Amino acid sequence: MVRRPGSAGSARRAGAMSGGYGAGRFARGIAWATVLYLVLPITIVLPVSLTDQRFLSLPHEALSLRHYANIFASPAWLGAISQSFMLAVASTALAVAAGTLCAIGCWRLGRRSSEMVRVLMLLPLIIPSIVYAVGLYRWFGKLDLLDRFLGVVLAHAVTGIPYVVITVSAALAAFDPRLEQAARGMGASLPQTLRWVILPRIAPGIASGAIFAFIHSWDELVMVLFITSRQVFTLPRKMWDGINENLDPTMAAVAMLLVVFTIGLLWLDGALRRRRRDA
Amino acid sequence: MSSTAGHALALRGLTRRYGSFVAVRDVSLNVESGEFVTLLGPSGSGKTTMLMMVAGFTEPSEGTILLDGRDITALPPERRDFGMVFQGYALFPHMTVAENVAFPLRVRGLGRAAREEKVRAALDLVQLDRFADRKPAQLSGGQQQRVALARALVFDPALLLLDEPLSALDKKLRGELQEELKALHRRVGRTFINVTHDQEEALRLSDRVAILDHGRLVQQGSPLELYERPATRFVADFLGRSNFLAGVVREVRPGAMALVAGGTRLVQAVAYGAPKLALGTPGLLALRPEKISLLAEGEAADTEVAGEIAAWSYHGTGFALSVQTVDLGLLQVALPAWRAPIAPAEGMAVRLGWPADASVPVAEDSHAA
Repeated sequence: MVRRPGSAGSARRAGAMSGGYGAGRFARGIAWATVLYLVLPITIVLPVSLTDQRFLSLPHEALSLRHYANIFASPAWLGAISQSFMLAVASTALAVAAGTLCAIGCWRLGRRSSEMVRVLMLLPLIIPSIVYAVGLYRWFGKLDLLDRFLGVVLAHAVTGIPYVVITVSAALAAFDPRLEQAARGMGASLPQTLRWVILPRIAPGIASGAIFAFIHSWDELVMVLFITSRQVFTLPRKMWDGINENLDPTMAAVAMLLVVFTIGLLWLDGALRRRRRDA
Repeated sequence: MSSTAGHALALRGLTRRYGSFVAVRDVSLNVESGEFVTLLGPSGSGKTTMLMMVAGFTEPSEGTILLDGRDITALPPERRDFGMVFQGYALFPHMTVAENVAFPLRVRGLGRAAREEKVRAALDLVQLDRFADRKPAQLSGGQQQRVALARALVFDPALLLLDEPLSALDKKLRGELQEELKALHRRVGRTFINVTHDQEEALRLSDRVAILDHGRLVQQGSPLELYERPATRFVADFLGRSNFLAGVVREVRPGAMALVAGGTRLVQAVAYGAPKLALGTPGLLALRPEKISLLAEGEAADTEVAGEIAAWSYHGTGFALSVQTVDLGLLQVALPAWRAPIAPAEGMAVRLGWPADASVPVAEDSHAA
């Protein structure tokens, strides 16, 4: 991993060099309060996941890893994890393919109409997911996609597309259109230009989009509640049921693993972005 | 790089409109095989649009483009087989120098061994063989420019198109690369078409220059022809510097004519067969500052005018004088500094003179647009 220029060691100097006013005590206080507010719920989960009790609670006498062990001994949890993972992989693949092609198409056309298409592609992000879920429920009933792996993949893929369109469009905005001209001038066909010139240049943007689409599918609950029942049982659904039916601390352990996994993905995204900047 | 000759290009009545704006207006131009032709013009003259039409990136509104007599107007750029050096070079930043140069060969499905050999030969040609594994960002501007040249030449293109290839470089480097480019053209013997707004570059590099203004081809010819016999005020002004002398035609004889401006008689040689101006009509002469001499006491010239130095500056090789005259206004005079007959001073009275063949009759510019 390449270290970001101006991070850690030079932060103080950079602050002085930026020439802005330093944050006042009040602004600083609010900032820290916000950070705490955002992070506190997560920090509560950690001790709960390490409880030695058999119900959701803070540890009484000792810390215990039994609930973590529980996850890996329970076919139900493992099944939910693997199902969620496969769903996320499949829907991410679909979302990346569709979103990337859409962004490249809009970029090449570069007209007003393509701007409209781009806005349309962001709709799934704007519409409340519960409204979207109700719509899906009505349609998937007719299409016989309810409670089917394919149905959830489609639903997650479509709602994951906006993330890909946004990140790939951003990458394309930084792409020098003369490179495409140069490639064509040297005899490259459109597929060759895409494969050897455009895609390598926007790969970090595609990777970012893929990571966000993956996270989106990985923790999506509302649509899954509407369109699945028994056949498809994702991890967020399992946790939801767990909270409703029994107060098993295993859930907190799963939640902790989810947090760590998601932070890992975001770190990966950051690393990719830095590489793109340095390239 | 083989030594096969280049290809000939012919443009016939090329026009390009953008809505009601005409970027290029009815341009016809022949580029002979192996020639170095420069399209020269100020920004907005349509020279880049012309090049983009030749390259195939811009579709002409009217007219045809012929390569060795074959109509290629409708051919997309990827099938024209032209090498191109883009403004700012457009090197692929994610590829090494060798990969950049190999790109046109890879596109054509050439095998790895043949590819490597040609890439090495092309990098040798531009003296960059040591830099094959660097990324473009690790090279200087001049080196990047040479990579772009190698990449444009590696596949033996029918034509090499250059879009302001040297404009991103500083002045000294530009001069060096002009020499290199000229030598390269001689070595590969291909047809080069260059676009620039830099008149000095055009004069130094080209076999022939086509001057564009407001989308029209104003004049074409060898650099010497254009500099010595500009056809219009624009050409005389854009290529180098000129004084413009306006007068009325008073005498017409075989081989010469005379114009009168106030009390000054301007004697003008007329080349055999050149169109003559009619008696009594207004005429315009262009006169290069370096062709005016300072007349000593009693010295005579075909045209003589008295004036007073209004301003002067020293440039090492010479003095630049602005001489105020009554009949001809302010005249720019370039005086060699070494053994200059006078030490210039403001307000100094001088007598200027030049021979009849020093000035050239030029037309006023015709664009009403």
